[in-house]
Parts: sequence; C-alpha cells; structure tokens
Amino acid sequence: MSSESISLYVARESGLHRLHPLTKLALAGLLLAGGLALPQAWMTYVFFAAVVLPIALWGRVAGALLRAIWPIALPFAISLLLVRGLLWPSGTPLVALGPLSLKEEGLQFAAVIVGRILVVTGSFVLLSLTTRPDALMIALAQRGLPGTITYIMLASLQIVPRFQAKARSILAAQQSRGLEIGGNILKRIRALVPLVIPLILGSIVDIEERAMALEARAFSLPGPKTSVLILADPPAQKAARWLLAGGMLGLIAARIAWWR
Amino acid sequence: MIEIENLTYRYPLTDAPALQDISLRVPRGQFCALVGPNEAGKSTLCYALSGYVPHFYRGELSGTIRVAEAEVAHTDLPHLVSKIGLVFQNPFNQISGARFTVREEVAFGLENLGLPRERILEQVDEALELTGLTPLGARSPYALSGGQQQRLALASIIAMQPQVLVLDEHEMTIVLVSHKLEWVATFAERVIALAGGRLVGDGEPLDVLTDPALVEAGVGQTRYSQAARQAGDQGKPLPVTLAQAVEFFDADRR
Repeated sequence: MSSESISLYVARESGLHRLHPLTKLALAGLLLAGGLALPQAWMTYVFFAAVVLPIALWGRVAGALLRAIWPIALPFAISLLLVRGLLWPSGTPLVALGPLSLKEEGLQFAAVIVGRILVVTGSFVLLSLTTRPDALMIALAQRGLPGTITYIMLASLQIVPRFQAKARSILAAQQSRGLEIGGNILKRIRALVPLVIPLILGSIVDIEERAMALEARAFSLPGPKTSVLILADPPAQKAARWLLAGGMLGLIAARIAWWR
Repeated sequence: MIEIENLTYRYPLTDAPALQDISLRVPRGQFCALVGPNEAGKSTLCYALSGYVPHFYRGELSGTIRVAEAEVAHTDLPHLVSKIGLVFQNPFNQISGARFTVREEVAFGLENLGLPRERILEQVDEALELTGLTPLGARSPYALSGGQQQRLALASIIAMQPQVLVLDEHEMTIVLVSHKLEWVATFAERVIALAGGRLVGDGEPLDVLTDPALVEAGVGQTRYSQAARQAGDQGKPLPVTLAQAVEFFDADRR
C-alpha cells in the first residue's frame, strides 16, 4: 500500500485478512457492541486484552494496531482523567493539587470512557488494518450500496494526502514570493488568504476535471458493474455473519437490560 | 470517422463563442494533430468530439458532430466512451482514486462497462503492455512519476478500446492536441489549426506549419522553419522537421 493514501491497510498473509470484507465488518460491529455493553470499566480493558488483541495477533497486525491506537487514545485518556478527576463536583478526594483534588468517582468515570474509546478505535482500526477499502466498498456495492456513495468514501481516503501536498506546494510557492507566515495572529490570518484562495480555486478546477475523467471511464453508465477483485464468500462466512450480527444485537439488548 | 459541420459553441455565461463555424472530417485511421495558440478552442473542440460539450458543460451549440456513427449531441456521455476516448492534460486528475493498484485502475472503466472479468483482464494486460506499464501493475497509481501517470491515463482509456482516441494505437483515429509543433510535424499526417475559436488552417504539416498567415495568427511555427526564415527567403520550401532542416541548410553549404 502506498503512503500516498490515508488508508491504514497492512497487507499480510493471515486468516483474518482472507475473511470476506463484510464478515470483518460484522466482526468489528460485534467487538464494538461487546466493548460498549460491558457494565464495569475493568471488563472493557479485559475485553480489549483478551478478545481484540488476540484477534489482531491472528491477523498479524497487533503491533500496528497498538501503534495506531495510542496517538488517539492517550491524549483522550490524559485529558479525561485530569478534567473529570479534578472537576468532579463532589466525591472522595484521592490527591490534593492546591485548591483542587483528584476525585475517585471522577477517575472511575474517566476510566469507563477511556476503555470505551479503546474498544471503539480498536474495532475500527482492526477492520482498517486488515481490509482493503476498495474491497469493502466493492462488497457493499454488491449488496446494493449506490456506487456514488462508495466512490465518495473511497476517493476521500485517496484525496486527502493529495490535498495536503497541494497545500504544501502553494505554501512553498507563496513563501518564495516573499509571503511571511510567522508573526502575530493578525499577520498569520492575513497570510492565510493567498494560501486558501488558490487552494480552493485549484481544487474546484480539479473537481471538474475529475468529474469529466470519471465520465470518460463510464462511471455514470447505468446497469450492473463487474469487478476484477475476487471476494471469496463461502457459505460458512455467510453463516458466521448472521451469528456475528445476532451476537451484536444480543449484546446491545443486554446493555439496555443492564442499564435498567 | 469524425464529421463536424458548421459547429459553433458558446460556454454558459459567456458572450464570445469558443468555437465558430467549424467544419471538418477526419477519416478512419488518420493521425491528426490539433494545434493553435492559447484560447484557440483546442480543448473545447476535444470536449465537443467527446460529448462533454454540450452534455457536461451545457452552453449553446449549433451544427452537428458525428463520431463513429453517433450523433454526439444526442448520445449520452456514458454511451460515447466506447466510441471516443479523451486523455486529459493533467494525468493526476484522471486517476479515479477508487482503486489501489495500477492494474485495477486500468480495469476501473471496464468494470463500469460491466464486462466479464476475463475480458477485463485481457484488455488491461494489452493496455499495460502497449504503454509499458506491465512491470508497475502492482504499484499504487499515486506512487508513479508524472510521466508514468500520463501513461496510466492513456492505458486506462486505451483499455476501453474506443474507436477514436483524442491520441492512438493500431487503426484508431487519433486527434492529438499539442503545442509541440516539431513533434506534430514529424508524426502527424494532418494538422488542424485553430485561432480565436475559428478553423484557420487544415492540411499537411508542411503546408500548415509554414503558412505565414498562421504564424501571424499565433499558431506558431517550428524552430526549423523559424531558423530558415531568419536565414532569408531562398525560394525553397521551408523545413518543419529536423530531417528537412538538415537538408535545407546542407544544400546551402554545398
């Protein structure tokens, strides 16, 4: 996979990679529901360690999963623990920090949220690491999702890095003509104009040409489309998807029951 | 293969027509170059041949355009792709963004046509071979160089096997838009010159590219005919290719 895409997909020879994209989507849904349905915070962490991580190991992407998750989860964890711990209105103080104190109840609440964030990001990142986005979109299109929607979702993954590259080249071009981007806030805001306008106008022109290029590839031709990608979908996987979907619904129902 | 009669076209919200009273015919199998200064209407003529004018851009169109028996103005864009393929100037914008390898990118248009997988793979292999991209088939389209992306854009269109390529291979008709007059003079059988939306020249490269009126109109001239003009009028035909220039100046030395 090229670094020119924001897709997280990591090509590996694994049983998880070989699953049909919709089976992996259903698995991600089950993991998500499982993590969110558990009533105690510690259970969520055990679930992550005992279920999500072993599945990632099966897919040979455990390292990549952890590397992708921590930049998302860590800032959330620190800010939640501090904000909730320090600003919890009343409760048991654990550590005094000047006029404020870390409250046990606030930390417990933050731990629940952090655990859920871990499971939610873990489920989606695991799906992304082991599933080519185009394969997932083709699978969804074969189940009736409109081609324009799958195209927009896929193209967005590819376009973002190009948009960033374009912004960088405009910035370099304007700086070479003497544009100053440092200084106080007013100067910085003023410097945005010669950067943003060419970026927006250039992107509008690109969009027009892209739309025309898609027409040249018969994108809007009505009727059934085919695919060179073969997405193996044996009966066992179809059955597994029903089980996974059933499990997901069961967990959601259990969560609702626990809430009561 | 291509028949245009009295074509005049005006883009929406503009006063001046981009194309004015153009009539021309390009027979099957001809390699025809389209030249002219900026704003001459070259791209607009290509869009008209491919159906983007009027289907995509709308605007006011009069006259008729027929490509491979299809009346362009009355044929939907998606149904024109098997008749005419247009390769745009910016190769990057022709990458669909929906496929992750060069091979799959070339297959994208054929998938949209709903062709069987085996036939798609045959046509993809052929297009990759023709454009020299076979060794890069597993790469990401975004990991290619600019030149390779240009070849990918060409391969993606060639794979769809249009009857007219606006560029070709085999027995297709080619309409090539270019400012590189030396290249045009060497390879094209015919040169069509536009200026200000009007057809100002049409004929063999030697005749069109040495016409003083066309130089005046901004169409330009090859560096060889320019050098020969600067050397002074010697009553000999002006050269437009390197080989002709060598002959032209060698004759002087002898």
